[in-house]
Amino acid sequence: MKQVLHLQVNGEDVEVAAPPHWTLLEVLRYGLGLTGSKQGCDKGDCGACTVLVDGEPVLACCTLAAATEGSGIRTVEGLADKGGPSRVQRAFDACGALQCGFCQPGMIVSATALLERNPDPSLAEVKQALSGNLCRCTGYTKIFDAVLAAAKDRVPGMRADGSVPMAYGTPTDGFRYVGARGRKADAIGKATGSAKYTDDLTLPRMAHGRILRSPHAHARIRSIDTSRAEALPGVFAVVTGAEMPHAFCVIPWTPDEHALAVDKVRYVGDGVAAVAAVDEDTADRALALIDVDYEVLDAVLSPTEAEAPGAPLVHDRDWKDRPRQDNVCKEVELAFGDVDGALKDAAVVVDGEWHYSGSTHAAIEPHCALAEWSADGDLTLWSSTQVMHYLHRELARVLDVPEAKIRVVQPVLGGAFGGKSEPFDLEFCAAALARKAGRPVKILYTREEVFYAHRGRHPMDFRFRIAADAQGHVTAVDNDIVLDGGAYHSFGLVTTYYAGQLLPGPIRFGTYRFKSRRVYTNKPCCGPKRGHGSVQPRFPLETALDEVAEKLGLDPIEIRRRNAMRAGEHTVNGQLVPSCGVLGCLDAVEAASGWKQRHGKLPFGRGLGVATSMYISGTAYPIYPNEMPQSGVQILADRSGRLTVFTGTNDIGQGSSGAIAFVVAEETGIHPDQIRVIAGDTDLTPVDLGSYSSRVTYMAGLAAQEAGRAMRDVMVRAAAKHWDTTPSDILVLPGKYLLISDPEKQLDTAHVLRLAEALLGTPVSTGGGYRTRKLGGDYRGGTIGASPAYSATAHVAEVCVDTETGHVKVERIWAAHDCGRALNPVMVEGQIEGSVYMGMSEAVLEDQAFHLGMEKRRAMPGRDRTRGMHIGPNLLDYRIATSLDTPDIDAFVVESVDPGGPYGAKEAGEGPLHPAIPAVANAIWDAVGIRMRTMPFTPERVLAALRAGAAEVA
Amino acid sequence: MLRMPEFEVHRPSTAADAVRLRSQLPDAMYVAGGTDLLPNLKHHLHAPKHLVSLARVEGLSGILRAGDGTLRLGATTSLHAIATDEVLRAEVPGLAKAASLVAGPQHRRMGTIGGNVLLDTRCLFYNQSLPWRRALGSCLKSEGTWCHVIGSDKSCVAAQSSDTVPMLVALDASIEVTLPDGSTETIALAGLWTKDGRFERNRNLPPEALLTAVVIPPRAAGHRSTYRKVRARQAIDFPQVGVAVAAGFDGDRLSSLAVVVGAMLPHPKRLDHDDVAGRPLDDALVEHVAERAYKQVRPQPQVHGDPGWRRELARVETRRALRELLPG
Ligand SMILES: Cc1cc2nc3c(=O)[nH]c(=O)nc-3n(C[C@H](O)[C@H](O)[C@H](O)COP(=O)(O)OP(=O)(O)OC[C@H]3O[C@@H](n4cnc5c(N)ncnc54)[C@H](O)[C@@H]3O)c2cc1C
Ligand code: SF4
Ligand code: FES
Ligand code: FES
Repeated sequence: MKQVLHLQVNGEDVEVAAPPHWTLLEVLRYGLGLTGSKQGCDKGDCGACTVLVDGEPVLACCTLAAATEGSGIRTVEGLADKGGPSRVQRAFDACGALQCGFCQPGMIVSATALLERNPDPSLAEVKQALSGNLCRCTGYTKIFDAVLAAAKDRVPGMRADGSVPMAYGTPTDGFRYVGARGRKADAIGKATGSAKYTDDLTLPRMAHGRILRSPHAHARIRSIDTSRAEALPGVFAVVTGAEMPHAFCVIPWTPDEHALAVDKVRYVGDGVAAVAAVDEDTADRALALIDVDYEVLDAVLSPTEAEAPGAPLVHDRDWKDRPRQDNVCKEVELAFGDVDGALKDAAVVVDGEWHYSGSTHAAIEPHCALAEWSADGDLTLWSSTQVMHYLHRELARVLDVPEAKIRVVQPVLGGAFGGKSEPFDLEFCAAALARKAGRPVKILYTREEVFYAHRGRHPMDFRFRIAADAQGHVTAVDNDIVLDGGAYHSFGLVTTYYAGQLLPGPIRFGTYRFKSRRVYTNKPCCGPKRGHGSVQPRFPLETALDEVAEKLGLDPIEIRRRNAMRAGEHTVNGQLVPSCGVLGCLDAVEAASGWKQRHGKLPFGRGLGVATSMYISGTAYPIYPNEMPQSGVQILADRSGRLTVFTGTNDIGQGSSGAIAFVVAEETGIHPDQIRVIAGDTDLTPVDLGSYSSRVTYMAGLAAQEAGRAMRDVMVRAAAKHWDTTPSDILVLPGKYLLISDPEKQLDTAHVLRLAEALLGTPVSTGGGYRTRKLGGDYRGGTIGASPAYSATAHVAEVCVDTETGHVKVERIWAAHDCGRALNPVMVEGQIEGSVYMGMSEAVLEDQAFHLGMEKRRAMPGRDRTRGMHIGPNLLDYRIATSLDTPDIDAFVVESVDPGGPYGAKEAGEGPLHPAIPAVANAIWDAVGIRMRTMPFTPERVLAALRAGAAEVA
Repeated sequence: MLRMPEFEVHRPSTAADAVRLRSQLPDAMYVAGGTDLLPNLKHHLHAPKHLVSLARVEGLSGILRAGDGTLRLGATTSLHAIATDEVLRAEVPGLAKAASLVAGPQHRRMGTIGGNVLLDTRCLFYNQSLPWRRALGSCLKSEGTWCHVIGSDKSCVAAQSSDTVPMLVALDASIEVTLPDGSTETIALAGLWTKDGRFERNRNLPPEALLTAVVIPPRAAGHRSTYRKVRARQAIDFPQVGVAVAAGFDGDRLSSLAVVVGAMLPHPKRLDHDDVAGRPLDDALVEHVAERAYKQVRPQPQVHGDPGWRRELARVETRRALRELLPG
């Protein structure tokens, strides 16, 4: 039963009929189509839904709509005035405060409310006012900049009319646009609430899908009876695993997962059945009517349990349908050089056990998919994915439909960090339900389901040994790694390799050996999270290196300098590192942090720590071997002077579309304002393998450079013909082409494009690709971890340890990152700041933890059902840092100019996360003299370690 | 998005109507700011058929100071108003501080003092979705029969998690309520809570009673107060430990002292300690009271944080809270 509400929304009187149990967020989004206000948790934990009710910032998801009758409501859509976006919105855009943008409508509303009552706030007041708005991308740094810039009316690049050009800064010497500070391709739409994320789309007759999930960590499904659910009025379709019998996996040769469980459920939250219904209430009711008969099995919740003799098998058979003997998903062992000899001869050996706890991506946008079939049986799937192409392939496999009949579209994406880099059950289920129901179906994960979808950082146990000679040169590293994989394979074999293969560098190893074993457990599946597989082993390496330095009486920065790799070197495992700016990074953070004067000399409780890392710029080889380009870019010119660039990359908030626009602008001389990037649509855009492994700037950047160059060649030829001269007589400048022999003669780029079209007699379009080069070590597995370029990073962290409570406050992090060349420094800084934030949050706060079973005296008689339950699958119990917990972040861009990257560019999105965890651990040592070998560094752990004795290992 | 049970919403404009609706309608509940209730409804912890919204009830909101120093906080006064009110900041600084530490800025604008006083107790096994709880087999406070925290089928130790409650108890505050028969009553807060954390059993108050105001009696001469909160993040998080202290000073000598520990038990715990009258707040006294905090609260793993650590923190934060009262 609906009731009519009278509201004044963004200055307009509206009447809207809504059921009384709807929240204000539902009335805005569903009732009024105002999709600018976002939903990130739906229960008051994240702030994405913040709107103003009678001038006060409130959470629309926890506001009863009926109670707001007669109120005045302002949403992000209403903040822009007739003159266009508000100054706050402009400032957020110009300052690079928007990455994925999903948190930003709420953030901008909170910031606007602050500035309306306090036009000139201090930084502390800004942090306080935004402390109920979680952002997962930016590290808040540029958000603070933007609010202060708006307050002071100092929006960078803002013209008199209030607009801001795409590139407003000065380019690097010798470049037309590269190096200029600039905006992101799609940011203003995000700031004003007009950008459409997947859940913002609705289609006529659309049904809402929901997935029934396993209440058991491990059980055999005896039967599923969906008849009562099917009979419920308003239910259009129900599907079960039996209807999608093909297993899938992002790695095509290890399919061990089904769209919905077929025989067993393997973790609490595993999908069992799905329904599509007229609305969400009916869908929920239908789920409760599905009867599943389970035979509950013992669960294994840690590698230790999983490897115990007689442990139950998570998978009875492997992907080749061979019976399994154990729970080992993948095992790798590689050795380079005489490790045992080096350990024996070493001046110092540090040997111990470390534990890295799991964490999850927690992008603020929950996964969402919308599927529609045409009358001809063609599927369109809109999905919040970061790997459209792999999704495309797996959809075809699971749905049994040729790829040519499937179109995958990635709308604006609200953050991913690796958490959307493989197919998920909702995509298959939305498609299968839509086919069965004969109408479009949307499925939106609840925040809880996002925690079950997971694919986050693997917990890892290390037995780690490092040896050095008397000068501190690392002569051996020996690492025995156990990865807790969760229930499925995911990228498992890659992660298993990465945990070992990505470690050598920028610290040079004399010899190296690793054993790496990924074990299945009855928990949500782990996968790639920002710094896939390689963040974890950096923790033992970089903290043990500090111990080596201490034993040798060396400064921690000095020992890293002594071991720093140089450009052109090969790692011990045979990877060529064409450029390496780690020394520059160390210099930058050493100077900025006052290291020489302060390290080792601060009062008890305060300390500095350093750490370094290196990361790939894309993996050398695609996930499935093929001869086609890994990235393709097409450019189409319009007579208006505009270029449209088509790319299959997925802009997940990192700004890849903007980077590609900058590359094309650089090549053609056409201003980025005149370049539109169309990305993420398998019907419209050439294949790109997706946004993972930090591959986009490098690989799609090179493809864009090739396509741009071809466009420029045509334009130069056309200009030459126009002036009746040779192409070498043409100079390409920003916005214009000039005749060198008679510099008075100039043409604007729009004119040149028209000449080009006339010259060719066809539309002017060009293409470019990134083709796989032969790279990698000459041994089995040697191509895994091979990359055309490697970034380098160094952090210095400053912490304050409360010795009575154990709390570690990370106060400041100086982070220098070698990205080869910054195409747009604003975006590179944003990636560094966001990475630092995510790493430090992981270091001290986050833990994707599960109940492992109660002590006997607490356990429920009969069966202890807590085993395998997620401790708190929500953004209140899983704590990601707020604006008040985030340290001051000083980002430094170091440019080593890679010989192979576009203008020398390489990755910036993942590398800068790695050192945060060991840098914080090393700073704790400097502060209070304890070595933390288990993370996160919670106050309980730190206090216990402090009590266990100052110099003892925790 | 998450579904709530289907209910109707009523928006009475007088307290009497509110109580009448709440008493007469079947399965009705009050809702003020909704920041506690709505997440709980999304978790299907209750299944009301009717919600009686207090948003429009006249005279329920506002801060009044009587000539004798009595402070009357209307039940629907927002926590933001309490945190920023000049009079409260000057006269009961600990309360303004406690209110300023609740949740995040938006919650403090939505959340009311009445809702904060009557905040349901919290537990990691309770404040979860219905599918989550079902997978667990639920618990004594929800649909089940077993307490997973203490391993018992008899009692629930879900934690009193309001930040203002310990402070209000330390201030000897009381609440004014309107009862179903229309009568009004003033009830001392100290006696409001039971030792059972279950909903409705947690309070010595009929569920239909409408809280209309929180009343803080005149403070002792030389009143000083503060509140300290332990939480993982500096915003949003509920307390893992809360310590409220209120003291009267006569010069540098104490005339009275109340220390109340929150977030550990289903009720706020006022510490027993030696008589302080006439004593300076010196190290010995600080240590004595801090030790009592450690001895008198035994937290369980019902909220985040190792219970032994939380217990230790009760000592540390009590010590710190007391030191905050010392000038300079
Ligand atoms: C993410 C998050 C974090 C939070 N963190 C904290 C925190 O750190 N500290 C903290 O103290 N709280 C916290 N809260 C809880 C909540 O925001 C506050 O306690 C708030 O003060 C509750 O007030 P309300 O008006 O919103 O209550 P409501 O949700 O409206 O009501 C709460 C309960 O009290 C009853 N009730 C309300 N008013 C009356 C009345 N006048 N008479 C009778 N019954 C009434 C309701 O029926 C309901 O049972 C948090 C909430 C969220 C969602
Ligand atoms: S303390 Fe026990 S009974 Fe109470 S909510 Fe927690 S688990 Fe349930
Ligand atoms: S969606 Fe409302 S607070 Fe997260
Ligand atoms: S920009 Fe804040 S969550 Fe992505």
